[in-house]
Parts: sequence; C-alpha cells; structure tokens
Amino acid sequence: MKNRILCPTRGGKASYANQDRAIALAKEREADLLFLYVSNVKFLGLTSRPFIVDIETELDEMGEFILIMAQERAEKAGVQTEITVERGVFDKVLKAVIQEQKISTVVLGSSKEGTGITTEAYVQKLGETISQELGVEFIVLRDGEIQKVFNQ
Amino acid sequence: MKRIQTIAAACEPFLRNRYLKIGVLLVLCTLLLSGAAAVSVRAGLASQQEPGYLISGRLEDPQGQPVSEADISARLPGQSEPLAEAVSHEDGSWELLLPGIPERPLTIEISRPHFNPHFLNIGMADLRQVQDSGLWLGVIELERHISAGFWVATAVFLAVLLLIAFEVLHSTTAALAGFSTIFLVSYIGGAINPNLYIFSFERGLSYINWEVIFLVMGMMVVIAIIEGTGIFQWMAFQAYRLSRGKSWLLVLILMLITAVASALLDNFTTMLLMTPISLQIALAVGINPLALIIPEVLASNVGGISTLVGTPTNILIGAYAGIGFNDFLINQTLGVIIALVGMGAFVLYYYRKEFSKRSGGISPRLYQKLESNARIERADALWKSAVVFGLVLIGFVLGERVHLVPAVPAMAGATLLLIWLKPDIHKMIKAVDWTTLVFFMALFIVVGAIQEVGLISIAAAGMGRLIGQNLPLGVFVVVFGVGTLSTAIANIPLTASMLPIVNFLSGSIPGASSNVLYYALSMGAAMGGNGLLIGGEANLVTAGITQQTSSPISFKEFLKIGLPVTYLTLGVGFLWLLIRF
Repeated sequence: MKNRILCPTRGGKASYANQDRAIALAKEREADLLFLYVSNVKFLGLTSRPFIVDIETELDEMGEFILIMAQERAEKAGVQTEITVERGVFDKVLKAVIQEQKISTVVLGSSKEGTGITTEAYVQKLGETISQELGVEFIVLRDGEIQKVFNQ
Repeated sequence: MKRIQTIAAACEPFLRNRYLKIGVLLVLCTLLLSGAAAVSVRAGLASQQEPGYLISGRLEDPQGQPVSEADISARLPGQSEPLAEAVSHEDGSWELLLPGIPERPLTIEISRPHFNPHFLNIGMADLRQVQDSGLWLGVIELERHISAGFWVATAVFLAVLLLIAFEVLHSTTAALAGFSTIFLVSYIGGAINPNLYIFSFERGLSYINWEVIFLVMGMMVVIAIIEGTGIFQWMAFQAYRLSRGKSWLLVLILMLITAVASALLDNFTTMLLMTPISLQIALAVGINPLALIIPEVLASNVGGISTLVGTPTNILIGAYAGIGFNDFLINQTLGVIIALVGMGAFVLYYYRKEFSKRSGGISPRLYQKLESNARIERADALWKSAVVFGLVLIGFVLGERVHLVPAVPAMAGATLLLIWLKPDIHKMIKAVDWTTLVFFMALFIVVGAIQEVGLISIAAAGMGRLIGQNLPLGVFVVVFGVGTLSTAIANIPLTASMLPIVNFLSGSIPGASSNVLYYALSMGAAMGGNGLLIGGEANLVTAGITQQTSSPISFKEFLKIGLPVTYLTLGVGFLWLLIRF
C-alpha cells in the first residue's frame, strides 16, 4: 500500500519551510501528501457578544485558501496533493483524520517563538502519544529541520 | 360619504403595494402619536393652572448639583397635617401651592434620604409677599449626611469594579450582584437600621437610561442584518485590488475601511469579519498578516469615536449629556481623522520592512478563491439594508431638529428591516446582545446608588479641587486619565462612573459647558482600548482568529505597537479638543 503523509499546517511564512520539507519527503518516498487545516472557534468564548454571521464558514474559507497556497507549492515541486479543512480540537481532529485517511506518516512543525498551540513541548508530546496509540510515524519539524521522529 | 368613496377609490392602486401600505401605516402611527402628545401637553398645562399662593425655590447639594425628589412640606406649628406638599424636580426646583394665607408664621421642612433635614421659617412679612406676588426662596443648599448606606453603596461599587477588572465574575454577573446587594441592603437592612437605606426600587429604576438600551438594541438588529451580506469581505477585496500589490497603500485603505465601518456600525463585528479575509490578503501579498491586522484593529477602536453610534461609550455619553449625532460629527470627526493620519504614519514606520516587500502576485486559482471568499452573499438584503441604514442616519441627523432621540430612528430602522426582509425573528432577537443590555441596566443602578448617596459629588468635588478652574488641565486629566485606565479596565463601567463627575466638572470649570470634557471622556475611553490586547473585545476576537494561523497576535506584539499608538492618538485628541474648544 502506498505511503500517505499528512501535513497539518496553518499557513504563513513560518510554515513554508515545514511545508517544503513535507513536500520533499513525499517526493522522496513517492508518497501521497495530504495538507490539513483545523479551525477552532473556542476563542469566541472570550466574548459574550452574539452574532449571527457564520464565522466557522469564514474560517473554513480562510483555511482552504491557506491549503491551496500549500498545494501550489507542492505542484511546483511536482508533487500532487489533497487538501482537507476540518473543525474542532486539534489533537482529536488529527487522530480522526489519521484513521480515516489511513495515514502512515505525520509531519508537524512547532512554533518558533512558542506562540499558538503548537509549542515544541506540545508537538513532541502529541507525536509520542499519536505514534504509540495509532502506530504511525510522527516527524517533528522546526524551520524545516527534523527535530525528532517518533516511530513505534 | 360619496367623497370618501372617491378618495378610497383613488388610493386603491397605491394601497395594493405592500410597501406603500407599510409607509401609510407608519405615517398614520406618527400622526396619532403626535396628536396624543399634543393632547397630553394641553392637559399638563391645564393642570398647572390650579389656584393657590406660591412659594418656590431650588435645592442644591454642597457641590452645587441639583437635588431632585426631595419632600417639601409647609406646616403650621403644632399641626401634624401639612398645609401643602411638593417634590423637587430634576433641576432641583420646587413649588409649594398654599391653599390660603395662614394667619401665623409657618415652617417649611425639606427632607430627603442622604441629606440632613432642613427647616425654613416663613414669617408674616414673607407671607404677605406670598399673597402679593409669590415668594422665591432662592437656592437652598442641603447638607450631606454620610450614612451607613453611603459606605455600603461605595463598597458595592468598588467590589463590582474589582470583580470585573480581575475577571473574577463576568461583567454582567458582577453588575447584577451589585444591583441585588444594593436593593437587599436598602430594603432589608433599611428596615432594621434606617441609616442603611440607599434608595427605593422605583428610584433605582429611574437611573436606567432607556435611551441607551433602545439605541443599542435597534442598532444591533440593523448591524446583524448588514453583517450577513458579505459587504465587509467585499470591501477588503476591493482594497486588495485597488492597492495593486502596494502593501503600504493596502494597509491604509484597510485602516480607512475599518475606521469608517466602526464609526457607522460596530468595531467588534467589523473585525470579526475583516480579519479572516485580511489574513488571506496578507498571505497573497506576501507580508506578515499582523502588519495588516493590528493596524486594522487599532483603526477600528479609534474610528468609532467619530459618531454617536460608533462605540457603546459614545452612546452612554450622548444619552447622558444630550450630545447628538451631529454634535459628535462636528466636534469629533476631524480630530479622529487627524488621529488616524498620525496612526497611519506610525504604522507605516513601524512595519516599514514589511511594506517595502514587493508582492510576487498570486496564481489565477488563488485570486479566484480570494474573490469567491469575498463575494457579496445577499445582494438583495444588502441594498435594502443600505436604504434603511441611510434612513436611520438621516433620522439621526435631522431628528435633532424635532428633539427626536436617536433610539427612535434606530428602533424604527430595525423594525422596518424586520418587516421588509422578513428574517427569522428568533434569530434576530438572538443577535441582540442581551448580556450587554442587562449589564448596562444593572450598572446604571449601581452607579445610580453611589450618585444617590453622594459619593460621585464628593469625588467630583475632589477632582474639581485638583483641576481648579483650568479647563486645559481638566481636558488633559480626563483624556489621559481615562485613556490610561481604559487600557486595562473595561471602558463601559469606567465611562458610566465618570459621567456624573464630568457633569459636575462641566458645570464648575469656566468654558466647560461646551461639553468638551464629555468629548475628552469619549476619546480617552475608546483610544485607551488600543493600549493592551485585553483593552477591548475587538482586540481579543481578532487575536483569537489570528491564533488559527501561524501568525498569532501575542500580548507583547500588540503592546509594542498598541501602547505608542494609544498615547499618540490621545495626544492628538487632546490637542484637537484644545483647538476645537
């Protein structure tokens, strides 16, 4: 069965090096590459203000735009990719997508300044857990460089 | 009868049109209300023409503020039944109508909670004057009585502020806790020890400014309809097209859009909808998304100052001080524009490295995606809501000529949109921020309690001594003091507490009757929100959206640009007010 690599990404300059590494890995292993964007509207709990606009759809569209940018980077490198936008808590969604899409390798970058949820400690812990629970290879990146590989 | 039938036949084609029917109905309602108002005014005039002998005066507290709702009675010595009774009006004035001229001197007794009782003896010579032309007793200063209720109200008010500031309780829960404590102490405590009495439930309700409640409610419905049309996203995309890859121009256009949208609608909604599309545009242009989004949120916080409906604090100030839509436009807009120009220059300097990057352009596929994400969702709803919103604005501008309070055009506009667009009424009612409205109501009562017991007057007098007769110093203290406090404290309770103080200062500092201190309060409260990430809900929700990307707004990143911008705009605002007034 062909290898399937999953690369969750949030777009922007900070993620380009990690995307490129995932693309290179997919090319090297002749694997399928799937880019994933996960949105979470938990932050709306910071306000009690009501609104009728569908902010989740707005974020989905933003996620799709980010993933199309990643897809175009892959196409330039001659790698065909799929993209998927999901909603929810990141680690739960990640586990679900790994199982549904029969993923063999996950490539995830950690935030440089420790901002956002993908801090290095969080990503390493997640990698360890997912690798043990689901039996997949989990590669932790920082600026496109491999920091750690969890492989059961 | 035949004539009526002819008129009805002539009108029939017009009445077939349902919109005309609605219009006719609205006109009829207006005429009926006008008629009812005229009748009630006439009835009021008639009731004032009762026969009697007049003794009048005006009550003030030691700080020169009018004392309303004081009980005034005229008694003959040794008699328990008063000859006449009256209650002082909002401006402190009162009138006693004696049914006849007594043959011996009488005593006038003035009593009111939180003031010492005051007695005036009216001798025979005065009574002769009452008989001839009526007697004007002039301004009577009542002495404050610092009761146990004073300390309870003060403690409750401070507790509410602290609970909100340290986020121990949600602001609405904190205000409701204050509301409940004040009335429980007033009624149960007051029954045990009269010194604990603060005010009655009815008196407490009189502190709720219903104009604010209905104006906010009406505008929320109008905004809820407009926000679903996709206009914000479309405008952001047009900014991208117009700028042709020049990111410095793009940021200026986006700042202008958010400032104008916040002035007319609401900065929270504006940023909620502008942030995702701006993030995409920043990625398309190839710059750090924060270089677009932080300036947008800063502009949205300042832009709202220019109109009555731009910020909740302006609505509070406008309703309290009777400052109308036109007054805000005339006295604030140019100052806000100058502050925005200063802010724009600072932003261009701060992000100069980002803005010097040249965009490599995006693929046709990405451009198409961006265009599709920024499409107008409901063109029909957009033009209808634009028409109604235009009418609401006209109502704000022209309504002042007939003393039409802004809440009326706002509510009428909301109602017209509900009739015209027929949205799901349950959904629209949910769009009203009841949490904030309940917060407003409870807060008005808590602030009313400290006003009632005299804390505000004492604080205002203290501030008055600090500022003296120096108006520029007063403007400086209000702009920078409130601005600094607003960086960390929720600006709505802060503004609500400051209003009576500013009212006192406006009456005591020469030249301040121009309302300049209210404008200073408006600028300080809104501009201060830019200082810290926690300074406003729009800041927090924008940061929340950026956390969905690899460019999240951190507390430190926001502070680095937000704090200098805050003091820059406060400085511009202060200078503007000095020039304007």
